This record gives sequence, C-alpha cells and structure tokens, in this order.
Amino acid sequence: MSETVDPITRSVVQHRLSSIVAEMGEAMLRTSYSQILNSSRDFSLAICDVTGRLIAQAEHIPVHVGALPWATRAVEERIRDVVPGDMILMNDPYHGGSHLPDLTVFVPVFDGERRLLWTIVRAHQSDIGGATHGAYNPDATEIWQEGLRIPPIRLAEAGRMRDDILDMLALNVRNPYDFRGDLAAMIGAAHLGERRVKKLLAELGTPVVEAAIEAVLDAAEAQARAVVSTWRDGTFHGEALLDDDGRGRTDIRIAAKVTKRGSDVEVDLSDSDPQASSFVNSSHANMQAAVAMAFAYLIDPDIPKNSGALRPLTVKAKQGTIVWADPGRPVTLCTSHPGNEIVEAIVKALAGSCPDRAMAGWGRRYRIAIQGENPRTGRGFIWHMFHARPGGGASSGGDGWSSIGEWHSAGGLKFGSIEVAEARFPLHFRKHEFRPNSGGDGQYRGGLGVALDLVLETTRPALGNTAGEGTRHGSAGMLGGEDSAPHRYRLLSEGRPPRELRTKEVGIEILPGDYLEVRSAGGGGWGPPAKRSQAARERDRLQGLVTDDAEAV
Amino acid sequence: MLTIGIDVGGTFTDLVAIDASGRTVFAKSLSTPEDQSLGVMTGLEELARRLDLSRADMLAQTQRLVHGTTVATNALLERRGAKVALITTEGHRDVLEMREGLKGNRYDLRSPPPEPLVPRELRFGVRERMRPDGEVLIPLDQDSLNEAIAAIRRSGATSVAVCFLHAYRNAAHEHAVAERLARELPDVGVSCSSDVLPQIKEYERVSTTVVNAYVSPIVRRYLERLERRLTEAGFAGSLFIILSHGGMAPVEEAARLAAATVLSGPAGGMAGARRSAAMLGVADLVAFDMGGTSTDISLIADGAMTLSADSGLAGQRIALRSLDIASIAAGGGSVASVDNGGIFHVGPQSAGAMPGPACYGQGGEAATVTDANVVLGYLDAAKFMGGKRPLDVSAAEAAIDRLATSLKITRIEAAAGIFRLVNLKMADGIRMMTLRRGVDPRRFALLSFGGAAGLHAVELARELDITRIIVPTTASVLSAWGMLTSDLRYEVSRTHFESGARSTAGEVREIFEGLEARATERLQGWFDGPIAIERAAEMRYGEQIFEIDVSLDGIDLSSPSLIAEIEKRFHRRHEELYTYASRDQEVVFVNARVAAVGRVATYEADAHAVTTTKAAIPRGTRRALFGERRDVPVFALDELRPGHMLQGPAIIEAETTTVVINAGDALTVNGFGWLDIRLCKAQGI
Repeated sequence: MSETVDPITRSVVQHRLSSIVAEMGEAMLRTSYSQILNSSRDFSLAICDVTGRLIAQAEHIPVHVGALPWATRAVEERIRDVVPGDMILMNDPYHGGSHLPDLTVFVPVFDGERRLLWTIVRAHQSDIGGATHGAYNPDATEIWQEGLRIPPIRLAEAGRMRDDILDMLALNVRNPYDFRGDLAAMIGAAHLGERRVKKLLAELGTPVVEAAIEAVLDAAEAQARAVVSTWRDGTFHGEALLDDDGRGRTDIRIAAKVTKRGSDVEVDLSDSDPQASSFVNSSHANMQAAVAMAFAYLIDPDIPKNSGALRPLTVKAKQGTIVWADPGRPVTLCTSHPGNEIVEAIVKALAGSCPDRAMAGWGRRYRIAIQGENPRTGRGFIWHMFHARPGGGASSGGDGWSSIGEWHSAGGLKFGSIEVAEARFPLHFRKHEFRPNSGGDGQYRGGLGVALDLVLETTRPALGNTAGEGTRHGSAGMLGGEDSAPHRYRLLSEGRPPRELRTKEVGIEILPGDYLEVRSAGGGGWGPPAKRSQAARERDRLQGLVTDDAEAV
Repeated sequence: MLTIGIDVGGTFTDLVAIDASGRTVFAKSLSTPEDQSLGVMTGLEELARRLDLSRADMLAQTQRLVHGTTVATNALLERRGAKVALITTEGHRDVLEMREGLKGNRYDLRSPPPEPLVPRELRFGVRERMRPDGEVLIPLDQDSLNEAIAAIRRSGATSVAVCFLHAYRNAAHEHAVAERLARELPDVGVSCSSDVLPQIKEYERVSTTVVNAYVSPIVRRYLERLERRLTEAGFAGSLFIILSHGGMAPVEEAARLAAATVLSGPAGGMAGARRSAAMLGVADLVAFDMGGTSTDISLIADGAMTLSADSGLAGQRIALRSLDIASIAAGGGSVASVDNGGIFHVGPQSAGAMPGPACYGQGGEAATVTDANVVLGYLDAAKFMGGKRPLDVSAAEAAIDRLATSLKITRIEAAAGIFRLVNLKMADGIRMMTLRRGVDPRRFALLSFGGAAGLHAVELARELDITRIIVPTTASVLSAWGMLTSDLRYEVSRTHFESGARSTAGEVREIFEGLEARATERLQGWFDGPIAIERAAEMRYGEQIFEIDVSLDGIDLSSPSLIAEIEKRFHRRHEELYTYASRDQEVVFVNARVAAVGRVATYEADAHAVTTTKAAIPRGTRRALFGERRDVPVFALDELRPGHMLQGPAIIEAETTTVVINAGDALTVNGFGWLDIRLCKAQGI
C-alpha cells in the first residue's frame, strides 16, 4: 500500500462509513411502503468494494449481511463496463442471491473514472410472483414455482431508469403498487449512501479513504483473531436436524466439522445430508451467510461486522447437499431453514472450543398465514402471524429471552399490537401469554415460547398456509442443558377432531369459530440442570414459568 | 411582580427571576439529590439576595413559579420507584415483558433480558374482555378481581397499574376496578390506562401506565413537600411543573400524570431554545445542549418544536407525547480509548463527575474530551468555572500522552483526534434527526448552550454545512429561563381506528368537539385567561405501521367535506416527510388529539440599541491549535457589547462556557448581547 493513514483518519473513516449505512437504514425505514419493511424491518444496507469485500453494514438482519459479498461478486462477474449512473438489480439464488424475495439494489460509487465501491440495499419483498402469495410455497419442486428470477441486470443505464424493465417486473408481482414504492425507497436509500460516500472521498481524498478502509478491515481482523486465539484448539463436531422436507423425508441432517487452530476457524459442512426436493434447501450465498452469522454471534458483539472480521473464517461445503443445492432447486425457506440449523450445528461444535460463548439454541420459524373474508367489511384479507415468538437460548450470561424470535432475527422482528389486529381482522386473541415449561432446563434456563389461542371470527371458511420448522425438534440445549419443547400448532373445531398442523401445508380449511392453539417453542437450556440455583428454581415456580404439570400450557 | 423559573440539574439548581420591567436575574445553588426541594430553597435565598430582597419578600411578590424536576427521571434511571402491581386482562399478563418481541443489540446473544418494572408474580390477569368496538364480551368477574386484590394486599405493593385490552374504547371495567381499589386499598395509588394514555396499542399503553404507577408516588411526595416549604416561606402564587411535552401543569396534574415529567429537565432547555428563536426571529434552529456526559439535540422547524410519541427512558417505553429530543452519549467527560484492533473511539463511556476528566485532578486517568480541550489550548485551565476550580494541565497532558503513545502519534494529534471524533459523532446525531424529520440541516442555525457546547459548536456546524451559530448570554441557565415562557397545556386524545372511507364528517366532528370540551374544562380549572385549541390526527396508509401527526389547526370542523380535507392534509404531510404521497391508497385514522393551551403573560427584555461600533479589545492571547499552534486573541464575554464585531481565530470566555471560532469566521454581538457567528466555508480547525 502506497498511502499510509494516521489512526485518527482511520477512526474518522470507520465512523463515517458506519453512519452512512445507518442513515441509509433510516431512509428505508421512513420511506418504504410495505409492512414487512417499515414494521418488521426485513432489510439490510451495506457498502462493498468492487472485489466484493464487505466494508460496512447496518445492523438489521444478520442473515442478509454475510450474503452480500457473494451477491456483489456475482454482479461484478456478470456486468461489465459499469458507468456512473448505472444501477444494478438482482435476486436470483443461483446468481449470488439468497432467496427470491430478497431483492437487492446496487449503486456504484465512482471517483472520476475509477469505480471504487457499491452502496447496497437488500429488502425482503412481500410478494415476488410465483405460484403462491408471498413466495413461501411448500409445494414448489423447482425454483420457477417460487417467483420471478432476476440475475444481475441494469435497472438504470447512465442515469436513465429502464422503465420498460421496471414495468415488466411490476407486472410479475401481485402487489405492483407496493413493489414500486418499496423499490423507490431502496433506490433512494442507495443513492443517499452514494452521495455521502462521494462527499467523504472528496473531503479526505480517495487514496486516504482507500488506505483507511484497508486499515479498518485489518483492525476488525485483529480484533476477531484476538478473540478466537483464546479458544481451545481442536476439531469439533456439531449437528442439527431439520424436521422434514414436507414430503415424508424426516430428520435432514446439517453436519458441521469445525477446526479451530490458533486464530483460524475452518467450518466444513460437506457431510450434511443430500439436498431436498422442496424449499428447505439452501442456496450457496445463504449457506455462507449463515456460517458468517454463527461466527459473528460467537465473537464480541461490538467488533465491526465487515470482511476483515470474517477473515479468520474458511468455509467448505459440497454442492448437491441440503446446504448448497444444485441449480434449479427451490430454496425459499433457506434464510430461516436450514439457515438456523447451520448456525446451531456450528455453535454446538464450537461449544467444545469456547463454552462460555456458545449460547443454547434459539427458536425455529413457523409461519402461518390466513386468507379469508372479513365479515365486517365484506372484503378479503390476508393475515401473517408474527405473534407467539419463540424463546431465545440461555448462555453463560444467564437465562434466555422469552418471546424473542429465532436465530436469524434475534429480537429484530416486531410483532404487532393485538388490539390493532383485532380491530383490523376478524380475529380474537383469547390468550397470548408465556408458555410454561417451554424453555429448556439447565444451569441457565431457555427463554419461554408463547401460548396463543386465536379464534377466527369469520362467517365463511378461511384458508391457512404454513411454512416452517420445529415441531419435531426443539431449540438445542447446550453443554448439558436440555432442549426446549418444540412448537405445537393445533386447529380446534367444533364437530371435528383436533387437528395437529404440519409445518409445510397449503390450503388448511379453517371454519368460522375455529380456533388455533399455537404453542411456540422456548429456547434451549445452558449447562447441567443440576447446577441451577435453588433461588432461580423457586422464582421460576413463583412466576409460573415452570409448573408441575408438564402438560399445562 | 416576579416570575421565577427553577431547573434542577444533576449538579446545579439554576434559578431565574424576571420582574415586570423585564429585568432578569440568575442564581445557582448546588443540587441536593436526596431531597431536591432543599437545593431549591437555598437557591431561592441566593436569588433573593441578588434582587436585594428577603426571601419572604421575593416569594410574596412572586406570581408564578415554574419548575423543571428530575425526580421521576432519577427514580426510573436508578430503579427507586414504587412497588407496582398490575391488573390486566386474563390471558394477557405478559405484554409488558414481551416488549413486542424486540431487543437491542442484534449480535449480542449472551446478555440476559432486562427485569420488567413489574415482575410476573405481581401481574394479575382478571377475567373480563372488551371487543375493539367497546362492546363487553366478558363482564368483569368479581371473584377473579377479589383474588387479585387479596394478593396485592398480601404483596405489599404501594401502587397499582390497571390496563385492560381495548380500554381506550370502553373504560368501564378499569373504572370499576379503580373504585374497588380505592375502597379496599385506600393507601395504594392507582393508575388506569384509560386515564394515562387512552390509545390503541396495548404494549405502549401498559408500559406507560406502569411507568406512571412506578414514579407517581415519589413525584407526588416531592411536589407536596416542595409546595409546603414554599408556602411556609411566604409564597402565595401558582406553582407549575414543566412536562415532557414542553407545556406546564399544576402540581396535582403533574402528580397524577407523573410519567409525563420524565423529560421535564430537557423540556425546559427546549423551551429556552424556542424562546431564543422567537427573540431572534429565526424559524429553523438546532438546539444543541452539550454537557458533561451527554448531548441533547432537538429541532425547531418553522418556529415549532416537534412532539413525538416514540420516547422512552432507561429501557422503558413511555408513549406519552413529548418533545422530540435525541440524547447522544457524547460530552465533556466522554472517554477516548483504543480497541484491540487499534481503532480509536470517543465514548460512549464517560468519566462522569467522579472521577471526571483527568484534568479535574480527582484521580481520573482516562483521556476525555475536556482533557483534549485543555491540551489544545481552547480551555483556560486557570479560569475554569471562573477560576473557582482550576484544572490540572499536567494531568490532562499525561492522560493524552498515554493515548498518543499507544497510537504512535503526538500529543497534539491525539487531542485533535478526540476533538474531531466527538464533533463527528454529534454532527451525525443532528443529521439523523433532520433525516427523520425530512428537513435539510443546512437551512438551520445552531443554538449553542450547555457548558461544553461553545467549544464544539463552530466545528460541528461546519461538518453539517450550517453557517450560523448563536450563543445566548443566558446559555448557562437556558432551561430555567425558557420555562418562564412555557404555556399551560392539557392534552387529550381518543382512538378512532377507522379508514377515511368508513368515517363520516359528523362522527369526526363529534370526536373533536368532545375532546375540546374536556380539555377546555380541565384547563379552566387552572387558568382564567384565553384558551387556544390545537387539533391533530395521527394517520397512516392502510398497510403502514407508523402513524404521522397531521395538524388540523385552522380546519373547518363544520365543513361537509371534512374527511376529504383531513385526508388532503395527510397526503401533503406525508409528502413533506417522505417525498411521496399515495393519493389512491386507503387512509386510516388512528388517534384524534386535542391540546388546550393557555398562554401566560411574560416579561420580555427588549433588544438594546447598538452601543458600540468599535472593534472588541481582547483581554489577552493564548497559544492554541488553529491549523497550527499559534497565539490567538482571547475575549471576555462580559466585556463584549452589542455591536461589537470580531474575526476568528479567537476564543471568547465566560464563567461557565468558552466559545472557539476559527479563522475567517465572523462574530457579531447582537442587541441582546448574544454571540452571532457566521462561518466561512473554509476547512476547519
């Protein structure tokens, strides 16, 4: 490197870059249209360089972040001769994407003729076309049934929007209005980032900023290595199981062989089970992202999540397995599953290397969407359940968080107000409370899941779709801690026997007055139950979080 | 006739008196955290002395006393509030602890969850249920209520929060429970959600109601004690408390709605900023209050302060409307450090008041922002706090040297780095706030107040392309001074959760008229002057989750096209904030709100005529960093007169603040004796 940079400038650049991505996030939050973005915040912002290195990211959805370098490399491979004013769009899992709903916009940042960086916005779309609304299609046997595939393409050329392309895209989704609004928000946020990065280049000079970026990446690497070098050396194994593929194949295994030596960590997922015929496969980029997410959870939370911090990590996997499907396979569930199981397998393995850092398992995602007619308005409705969040895993830091979510969202996904849901939809929430006995026992107890009794106040039959995991396997206990109770969703109907819902079903008939008995999983326990203090056990009982009647939920 | 403003801060209690001629007198006393009213009484003694009056005479002449208090704030921060029990709808007793499924740091999976203000064993589900339209689905079950009351009696709880689902629509069950509690547990305070925050969204409502129950007893005790002491000392006027929304209310109301006093302190500062903006005739102002541990930022846009319902404190959600103030963990005491990757940071840790910056000589070894200012020559160690508390230069140098050595740079480079990074951090905070509000920071002037603000204001303004900075002479007591112009304010709201298409003009009119009657009636109990009404609606598009505030001031409620008018205002406001409107989309009303405002008479100082046209004479020079280390003129603020002009680089000193301006920047002293600084475009220090 020709330019050296003083430590103050290095800090200034690091600080600036992270405030730029934070501002991009604020702009997205305030301007996006659909609920999944402005409420659930299912989007991420990043700055990558032209070799695909992640320079800065805003803390939104952990599973997006490790995926963006792969998306950037796919853009670089495919799009040549980028000029100022170009803008790239992509989503395809077989061209560097994770799954089809995650649309990604790239805006290049130039210094004169030279292209240096990309400002990137990835956002989960509420619909992306395909056979079912919302992209989660348990029946899909190939990716074409999951939605519209977009390899890296130019959405703008030298400052001119390709309106023809935009029209074609909008025509292929179910809610073109939201789609256009959200895309406009993404483009606005990416351009805001571009402007701010250019100002930084102008102010400090491009060579100084480039040198500072190298120093920032090196610093994150040094911090990560300092942490890893305190862990025990060795080769460790961990595994986690998917319940099923929805077609009768059960207990699909994700196997992690993790070798830790000095300050390096190699994760080898090659022994994982063969790929599936349904959407529980992972794309390559998503697999890489899940491994990065596991690593990020185990190092210190305040180490910047950039490519420098991930340098100690090497990843091996085999194409054709559940973690890296062959081209054409469906993959929509992958950001949750097997994303979560990949994390769990790696954390389990590394529990032998860094027990104080390895947290017990967080919940698995189990979606349900209900479509029907609202008798109060006479209009159709679609309701997606974000309530009944599962519990978080316990750790050496203490008991797990209750009602907090899954590995891949980790408290980043807000569930809406019950009062608002009841006012807007024909739903009655009879109960929405912690589910006793759902957390895994241990020296530290897993967080609790939730017991939800939801009555449908329709006058005509409605239809339910599910997409998820975790009715066979609870969240993993760690280091002697016990697994949590798994999810259990049932449909109770007058005159019909109770019906256990499966995690991958389409078209479940829900009759007026039926109720859904939703019992979400807790988090895993950490450490041997025998070591749990008497005081903690007494408090659990006093609070009714643990009861004698294990069936009382 | 006098009016007195009193602001109790962490270290000092500030007092300001204004008489009918506009004469303004300041005093300060040490705060007394264990009983704030003691420091207040000492301060009043000092204030009277400066007015050449006895305290009893001064208080006898005082018509109005306005008070900003941190009693609720501290109770919440230090978790020293009441033992609270919660009565809520059966099947929903964990709303408070679920926190909508959110947690803070995304990558920190090992920190345990926070303890809720009411532990689960004190949260009681009672059998009852309302529907969203207010219809009773399950009547209030007396047996389950009896059980809850018996358990609360056994628990020794001293305050009870009552929050039922959909009580914003039908409060009958909450009121019935409150009556029973008043009869059977007469010594226990009761906060009902339908009184505290009658709005849809159960988490916000239950959390706010619980906070209210938690701080209410301690706030009530304090205010009653203060009132008693004042009466005994001869005060016969009205005592008002500043609330988080920037308006004021009598003691009884502040004690009832104690959760609305948690931002009482900073609200005074913002009132001062608004008053300054009005005096200057400036419409857009960033209020920048930099203290020892944190910096408070807020915006006055088009002459108005913004209220938001997004606030919270100490991890507790408080959805009452309050001034939109962003607090950034950066101040004079912010500590500089180097992480194990070799990256240099300033804050968020602070050396606080103890041990404080190294230069305080109280054993602090960490290099802080104040130490950097000493090393750079901006702060005069000998004259700190008017010479009452000289700083230890060698301790500051030693602290900065330790940092410089680990970074392999010089002492001056390290100190300049701290100065630069802390400015960057505060500039980011302001930029983020303007982004949220959809305004461009460049059109704003920066109002600098708080002890440390003057040292940094010019350079952080430059970072934001802001070109005008104002430093009022009242900077050090701005909160107490600003309070004196606060209005009496009573806010009421009602949820009307309905789409525009399904609402009728008559229905909406009725809601607003009902709210106005209630608000006016309440305010008339406190105040016999003219009452102004402010109306607003919280609205959003169908699928959105954030409502925006739409002002309905000046709208004709009797218009048959009322709904269309309101929708038009919503689209326009949405476009202002977020650059687009979706005029063909469903619009949803969520809450209607009305504020009754009583404007009190204030005594204003007039701007003085320009008394001089001469250049200001410096008191001396000091060696400080301005591009390079050089001797720059130092001026005494109290020697500057209206009309004085000077050019940077220069340092202007007063007892409690120091202002640094750079080469090319021009300073004028305005008619109030305030500093009005215009920046040149050149690169900063």
